[in-house]
Amino acid sequence: MITWMRRNLFRSITDTILTVISGSILGYVIFQVFQFVFITGRWEIIQVNLKILLVGRFPEELMFLVGFSILATCFSIASLASGMNRPIDQPPTLAGKLWGLFQRFGLIIATSAFLIVLAGDMAAVLFGAYVVLSIFAGRLFGLARRNTVLKRLPGWLWVAINATLPLVLIFLTMGQAALEEWGGFLINFYLAVVSIALSFPLGVMLALGRRSTLPLLRWLSTAYIELIRGAPLFVLLLLAGVALEFFIPASIAPDAIFRAVTVFTLFTAAYLAEVIRGGLQSIPKGQAEAGKALGLSTFRITFLITLPQALRNVIPAQIGQFISLFKDTTLAGVALSVFDLLNVGTAITKQDDYLGQGLIYESLAFVGLLFWVGSYVMSRESQRIEKKLGVGIR
Amino acid sequence: MSPQLSTPRKVPFFRDIRTLKWALQILALLAVFAMLYWLYGNYQENVAKSSIQTDLRFLDNPANFTIPGNDLDQSQPVRDAFVEGFLNTLRVAFIGIALATILGTLIGIARLSKNFMVRTLGTVYVELVRNLPLLLLLTFMNLAVVLQAFPRIENAWLPLDLFVVSNRGIAIPWFIGSPAQLGIGILSAALLAFVVAKIRIRQADKTGKQDRAWLVGIATFVVLVILIWLLFGYGWELPYVDGRGTTGGLRLDPSFFALVASLVIYTSSHIAEIVRGSILAVSRGQGEAADAIALSGSQKMRLIILPQAFRIAMPALGNQYLNLIKNSSLGATISYFELTQIAQITVGNGSPAVPAFSLTLLVYLAISLVTSLVVNFFNRRLALVER
Amino acid sequence: MLDSVIAAGSVRCGTRDALPGFAVLNDSGEHVGFDSDFCRVIAAAVLGDANAVEMIDLETADRFTALQSGAIDVLVRNTTWTATRDGSEGANFLQPTFYDGQGMMVTSDSGYSKISAMNGAIICVAKGTTTEGNAALESSRLGLNWEIRSFDETDLILEAFLAGQCDGWSSDVSQLTGLRSAYPNGSDALTILPEVFSKEPLAPAVLDGDTAWAQAVNWAILATIQAEEFGITSANVDSIRDTTEDVGILRFLGAEVPGSDGAAVLDPNLSLPTDFAYQVVKQVGNYGEIFARHLTPLGLDRGLNSLWNDGGILYAPPYR
Repeated sequence: MITWMRRNLFRSITDTILTVISGSILGYVIFQVFQFVFITGRWEIIQVNLKILLVGRFPEELMFLVGFSILATCFSIASLASGMNRPIDQPPTLAGKLWGLFQRFGLIIATSAFLIVLAGDMAAVLFGAYVVLSIFAGRLFGLARRNTVLKRLPGWLWVAINATLPLVLIFLTMGQAALEEWGGFLINFYLAVVSIALSFPLGVMLALGRRSTLPLLRWLSTAYIELIRGAPLFVLLLLAGVALEFFIPASIAPDAIFRAVTVFTLFTAAYLAEVIRGGLQSIPKGQAEAGKALGLSTFRITFLITLPQALRNVIPAQIGQFISLFKDTTLAGVALSVFDLLNVGTAITKQDDYLGQGLIYESLAFVGLLFWVGSYVMSRESQRIEKKLGVGIR
Repeated sequence: MSPQLSTPRKVPFFRDIRTLKWALQILALLAVFAMLYWLYGNYQENVAKSSIQTDLRFLDNPANFTIPGNDLDQSQPVRDAFVEGFLNTLRVAFIGIALATILGTLIGIARLSKNFMVRTLGTVYVELVRNLPLLLLLTFMNLAVVLQAFPRIENAWLPLDLFVVSNRGIAIPWFIGSPAQLGIGILSAALLAFVVAKIRIRQADKTGKQDRAWLVGIATFVVLVILIWLLFGYGWELPYVDGRGTTGGLRLDPSFFALVASLVIYTSSHIAEIVRGSILAVSRGQGEAADAIALSGSQKMRLIILPQAFRIAMPALGNQYLNLIKNSSLGATISYFELTQIAQITVGNGSPAVPAFSLTLLVYLAISLVTSLVVNFFNRRLALVER
Repeated sequence: MLDSVIAAGSVRCGTRDALPGFAVLNDSGEHVGFDSDFCRVIAAAVLGDANAVEMIDLETADRFTALQSGAIDVLVRNTTWTATRDGSEGANFLQPTFYDGQGMMVTSDSGYSKISAMNGAIICVAKGTTTEGNAALESSRLGLNWEIRSFDETDLILEAFLAGQCDGWSSDVSQLTGLRSAYPNGSDALTILPEVFSKEPLAPAVLDGDTAWAQAVNWAILATIQAEEFGITSANVDSIRDTTEDVGILRFLGAEVPGSDGAAVLDPNLSLPTDFAYQVVKQVGNYGEIFARHLTPLGLDRGLNSLWNDGGILYAPPYR
């Protein structure tokens, strides 16, 4: 212990000075944060407004649909994860396994527990219990698939069965409530997921187009990509806010969410195209040549051989793009007046009960916490996937 | 039996791969043009219904607004306002890029330090800031720091009696005299100092003697600047609180401060990661060779590792600089009069929306292209010439 | 436009959601205010039902583009009628509902008593409104060297004002009065300086090029002014219609007027139902009632907004 300290902290005079300075900075910051969070912070504003922060003005009667969607999603994810082949590097002891789970999901569990404590009513605690139950049930379901006759089910059927229930519930929920009533954290998530899903096909086409041997296609794709990448997302959103209605027939009246999704999709497609192009460039030429030797058409070579490998190689970069899109959804709040988490966070400090009391610190701390946990967990998962797939190693 | 020589059958015109390729391209082009034509048609139809302008004539209209910190008269044309906004964006860009690079490099090196405390501090900073949205940082800087933490002008802080800090801005001491003259003076002093240093280096190479050429160069620069200062009679101006504002010195707009601070903090965390990654990417053999010829730690960093790391980092750094320039458009949300704010105001005042915002986009595109060109230029100069 | 509105069964009215007195969202999510009531006036006139209106909240920057693109049928959002807006925004402004002026609001303890004393002050305004230009003009006219900061939303101006970043807040006097009534530190903490430095006629606007729709909306609004001139209120409109002998009032309410060749109802061919004025007054009220309902509680006097025979400039053309 002493040797460790001597080697890492007090190596020389300058080292000692640095240790003292940085140590005191760190200590001061941690002390202030603790004081703010536990002693001086007035968290009532968050507790009272928890619902609009998380889901906006979602109608009360339909909240149970949101709850069911979340439960169904947890169930499906747990069963999908357990139903796959047994991972080889599982720690042997129960304690080891628990520690592994804690490392992976500890942050999410802690944040959810914090939110439940904030909500402070029995309904939230019960809901937390339901989530845990559904995760267990999903895990049992997945184990059942692994160990019983259900093993014979083909992979795609397994995924389809698991995916139907949450997808149906989610569409039902979306259909019931007008999108204007959505808000808070939910709308950030929704915008990010929908935009990246829609931008995928466009991004793949642009990437292939940019690498095409046909000069016109290459020129068109490059022009689009370079134009979008040179433009700030904020200005594009402002433009869509005032100009989109001029470009579409008057019968479709675009609302703010429609504009936001359009811009995010077109924007992300250009960046995704660059990421996928990098992936395509990393595939050795031999793969395509082998395909040609087998007599496959260019179309088949691309979609059966090159593209799958390319996409797999750049999964971490794609997740990185998703994370930055997730953070950029806050721009829709200021440019298009969508009621996203940050917008709601600043708006609640102006409610009659809380105006002018300097509660912006608490509000921004809460908003920052949610975004931080989301981004951090996703980037850690992407690092884990990167290691698991052996990207760059094999 | 003679072998049957099979002559290749002539492929019909419509199955020839070359025609098909061209047909596909022309089809794609037609599809794109058709879509653009449809969009343009909608635009014309909607615009004709409401008799608004679609060209750039609005640039000649009087602006009808003023820009803080600037002498723009409100009867000057919109064009002048756009130029001011563009200059403001450039100001933010230059200062932001400079500060972010310095801070990011320091933190990146700190993350690789052998000192546990320093390393932890760096890691905490990077991990914390990297996962937060920029708009959150900007809102925090504006609402929580500038509006809440900074005092009102009546109770302004006066650190060291040199600065005046309040929520109306930060006033710093500034020189009295012509800025253009001083700028030219500093540039010529720098050039002279550079020449002196180069001469001394060449001398040192010839004679083999150790020479602290760069120190001599910096000393020359400082001496020359002081000479110019005294020669042309420049003076210092200290700011002080005067009623509701500050007099003297240079007042930094509070929104400028919030914008630059949040951009620097955000971008420096990304630059720190890039710097760290590029230092780690320099092959270990280089460091070991440096140890073998008994270079000190700082010499190793300065002469061997950092130059090579810089070469590796250049493209990624250029990308971050572009991001910073594009992110400066968020200044419009806190009333800093950069390009996007000007565009929003003129559109609200009656300029047609599509031409105004398209013009803004084109300007940003031009700035991005120029920056990429500059970065590529440096990249190519630094690139390893492989045998 | 008129046909599409009738076909759709509701009027899409561009408005806002947070200006006390003019348009605020109450707890049940309904729009309440002076402008909101005029939206209902238009609906009552055109469709016969004051609730057949769809309120679309707009940001200041989107006001005109929403009108231009056809996302709204009429803009009733305390918008000033100017020549430039008439010409280059493709908007057609109608009878002003409120003759306003631009004023300045300061904190009561700032010591300012008139605008000319505010030399070198920092003034906060909303982006993209006539207030910016007027403030700049006023500053150069009086040689006051103001620094004008412009923000996206009223909320942001409020934050800056509370923190002391602005010395003055300039906007239409009606807006300032509304904001002052909702100020967190109490309305006594703010003073609206007496000088008014521009003409701000607030008027509804429709899209250029549709005369029938413009006329219909215009006369719907004029009906409220004419009703007050006749002394008709929502309470007494039924009894007046049934008992009056005044031919002018009968024509106005779309009732049968006994004439030499039998009773006839006046139909001036405005593409409105003949009893539109009756519906407007019965369902919403006359101009005085609407004003008293929303603006008098804020402390605004009728001032210029009184009838022409009462010291003001509200004058409806005769309905005949």
